Amino acid sequence: MIARLLAIAGAEWRYGLRSRLALGGALLLAGLLVATTVLTALRIQGEATERAHHQTDADAAFLSQPDRHPHRMVHYGHYVFRTPAPLAVFDPGLDAVTGQSIFLEGHRQNTAMFASSIASADLGGMSWLSPAMVYQLFGPLLIILLGHGVIAREREAATLATLLAQGLSGRVLLVGKALALLSLVCVLLLPLALSAGLAVHAGEQPMAALALSGAYLLYLMVWGLLTLLASALLRRRAAVLATLAMLWIALTLVLPAVAVSAASALVPIAGKLETDLALLTDVRKLGDGHNANDPAFARLRADLLIQHGVQRVEDLPVNLRGVVAQYSEEKLTRTLNTYAQAQMAAEDRQAAALARYGWLTPLLAVADASRAVSGTDLAHHHRFLREAEALRYAFVQGLNRVHAEKLAYADDIRRSSDAQAERRTRVDATHWQLLERFRFQPDAAASRISQAAPQWWMLCVWCALLVAAGLVAAGRLRP
Amino acid sequence: MTAGSSARSRGSAIRREAVLMARDRSVWAWWGVVLFLSVLAVSAGWSEVRQQTTMIARLVEADRVDRLAVLKAQRDWGSAAYNSFHLTFDPPSDFAFAALGRRDDAAWKHRVRMLALEGQIHERDAGHPVLALVGRFDFAFLAAFVLPLVLIALLHDLRASERVAGRHDLLVATAGHGARVWPLRAALRTSGVFVGAALPLMLAGVLGGTAVSTLLLACAMLMAHLLFWALVCTGLSAWRQTGEVILAALVALWILLAVVVPAAGRMAIDRAVPVPSGADIIMTQREAVNDAWDLPKSTTMAAFVERHPQWADHAAVERPFAWKWYYAFQQVGDQKAQALSAAYTAGRQERDRLAGWLALAAPPVLLERSLQALARTDLRASLAYEARVRAFHASLREFYYPRLFRDEAFDPAAFTALPDFAAPSGPH
Repeated sequence: MIARLLAIAGAEWRYGLRSRLALGGALLLAGLLVATTVLTALRIQGEATERAHHQTDADAAFLSQPDRHPHRMVHYGHYVFRTPAPLAVFDPGLDAVTGQSIFLEGHRQNTAMFASSIASADLGGMSWLSPAMVYQLFGPLLIILLGHGVIAREREAATLATLLAQGLSGRVLLVGKALALLSLVCVLLLPLALSAGLAVHAGEQPMAALALSGAYLLYLMVWGLLTLLASALLRRRAAVLATLAMLWIALTLVLPAVAVSAASALVPIAGKLETDLALLTDVRKLGDGHNANDPAFARLRADLLIQHGVQRVEDLPVNLRGVVAQYSEEKLTRTLNTYAQAQMAAEDRQAAALARYGWLTPLLAVADASRAVSGTDLAHHHRFLREAEALRYAFVQGLNRVHAEKLAYADDIRRSSDAQAERRTRVDATHWQLLERFRFQPDAAASRISQAAPQWWMLCVWCALLVAAGLVAAGRLRP
Repeated sequence: MTAGSSARSRGSAIRREAVLMARDRSVWAWWGVVLFLSVLAVSAGWSEVRQQTTMIARLVEADRVDRLAVLKAQRDWGSAAYNSFHLTFDPPSDFAFAALGRRDDAAWKHRVRMLALEGQIHERDAGHPVLALVGRFDFAFLAAFVLPLVLIALLHDLRASERVAGRHDLLVATAGHGARVWPLRAALRTSGVFVGAALPLMLAGVLGGTAVSTLLLACAMLMAHLLFWALVCTGLSAWRQTGEVILAALVALWILLAVVVPAAGRMAIDRAVPVPSGADIIMTQREAVNDAWDLPKSTTMAAFVERHPQWADHAAVERPFAWKWYYAFQQVGDQKAQALSAAYTAGRQERDRLAGWLALAAPPVLLERSLQALARTDLRASLAYEARVRAFHASLREFYYPRLFRDEAFDPAAFTALPDFAAPSGPH
């Protein structure tokens, strides 16, 4: 039994190796894969070095600021850069379309600016070629090219009748052929293994690299099974090829793009400008944290005087201006975060609406899984935004605490008019050390893999359904 | 043979082929698919454009209400300029539904105020990154990338299938003008694809009031593109090979022209034409603005007056804080970043220019870019919008500078003369 299966698979391989068409196609795809793997790895590693360099510069610039009033540093601000995850050399994902740096300052949450797609030469959507995209789009093509004849060829040459007449069951024949296609898929995955190996070498967890290979194995298996099924069901080889070509156009080119249009029409999200209008109205109600006399802070002031048992603001052990700055930054940030979270949730909803189409086309499923496992998906972009915000809040409040504790209120209010007082409000530059160092790391491999749970289901269900259909078709295989 | 009888025989050949094809169900299936996809693409583009238009209408109104409310609460020119935002936007053109182009990832709306512009203009209220990455299904995508594949499917085995069926030599012998039968078949099949694709586009264009010249130009581009692929397909199908070898070769050519050349070109162009990092522009501008607080006010004012000599007589700042000084250092921040910012724009322009040349070697990209240019959704349109935002921001400064520098008494009635951002006029 096993020997028979292996014999069938072996015969298929020998046929493939003698076919110039099969070899030519395989060589072309291999060339494309190797070229994109090398070029993408170089590009991403270049980006990583550049961003790490920018980050070091930004850290140094902040720390080297002279003695000054701490609130000046709140406005001086800081820059954070997101370095790409190791597996980005295989799937850069959203790297090109989302900004990779954020300017952090007091009282504001800025957006991630300067996505590289904005400045890059515009040569159409297909020109963002990465190894992941080559697998997603062209892996299936090679499988179709090599596999469409597995049964149809035997049928056209009338050898299928001989095989079945010799007592070979249709199931055994089909499983043998499937084995041949499966081994082809495994060979196809070698360049991916190379990329993944490089990523592991660069610090990626092996489990993520394995999961990534698993996702593409399932995806290519779906296409192998589709090819096998078409080859077994349709009578003429040309018809098999035409059907599979149409299926390829539909599933890899048309449906994903249609799904995008559908998701954006069915689950529209308000743009940032629209939500910012509402946000601004809310923020204006909070009072101006620069003005300790703003009526919005009267309560805080009264409480503070009672708490310390003094009559005048000047007698407080802390600087009222610094306390107000802390208080208002906290309230403001709460409002900003509410809006930011709502925006992210809306984006998640739209992404989920798009991801559901993975049930219809395995390309969307594998693309989502690939980005999630590589750490280049929407979840990681959002985490970058959240971590940048956490760092912003931490250093702004740290500076505000210095403002409250190290500066005398009397000096602070007179600093515009009194040069002596102004000098006393400059705090020592060692305080700037409170800035945390920013280094973006992808999630742990396990959580990235479970992030793609719906996609694993989709790919497995696709496979299971096709295996079942294949077994049914094999039982009814006729010459 | 006389000219008349040759024309007659050609006419009968066309009739014969048309009748043959009318019986070929697979050809009809492909035409149906093209028509269906074109309807889908055009309606998807249509609904997206409508979404954008209604969003702009909502924003214009909300922006006006917000600004009026804010201005009502102001007591001086400086805080009025500081607190009031102004909406700028680039409305979709009447052909944008066919090629949405860069409107997915480039900004086409901003709210700016009188602070340094470099800190604001690079903000982008872009759409969803995953959607932008996968890309939308618009007519340009269909025409540029999918239709060539349909033609390949329709035309690759014109001869090979007849050879397999054993009719090839008979057909050539009986067709009179032997070699003509293949171009004729290819032309008929291609025309069907053209009609199926162009019909929904024309219909939507006419209903939506697109300029007829735009529509005709788009059709001409589509026709030229289809003609190219039809010629390639018929040329290659003359090859004495099996249908599947020809198909594989044609698909390989498609991959080369639609994917490999553009991808390699993008990489090469981006490498050949460096643009300054955006972070540097912002950093330069921020440093200039921040440093101003520590610098003597006269230094800032001197740098300001250099470019704005008309305010030289009003540039003295005596108080610890004066709004004219505040806006002067915002302007100086822009001035310091100007060289970098101009290099950023020039670099993008140059990259786009080279991409335009490279597109000549990649017909699908050429068609997509041409349709986007026609729809004003390309980089040039995006840069033109950016220029309009800059001009508008300059007019805001022109409105406030005289009031700030001459220390005019605050008069809310003057806000009726505030510059209004005007969308581009004229046909587009």
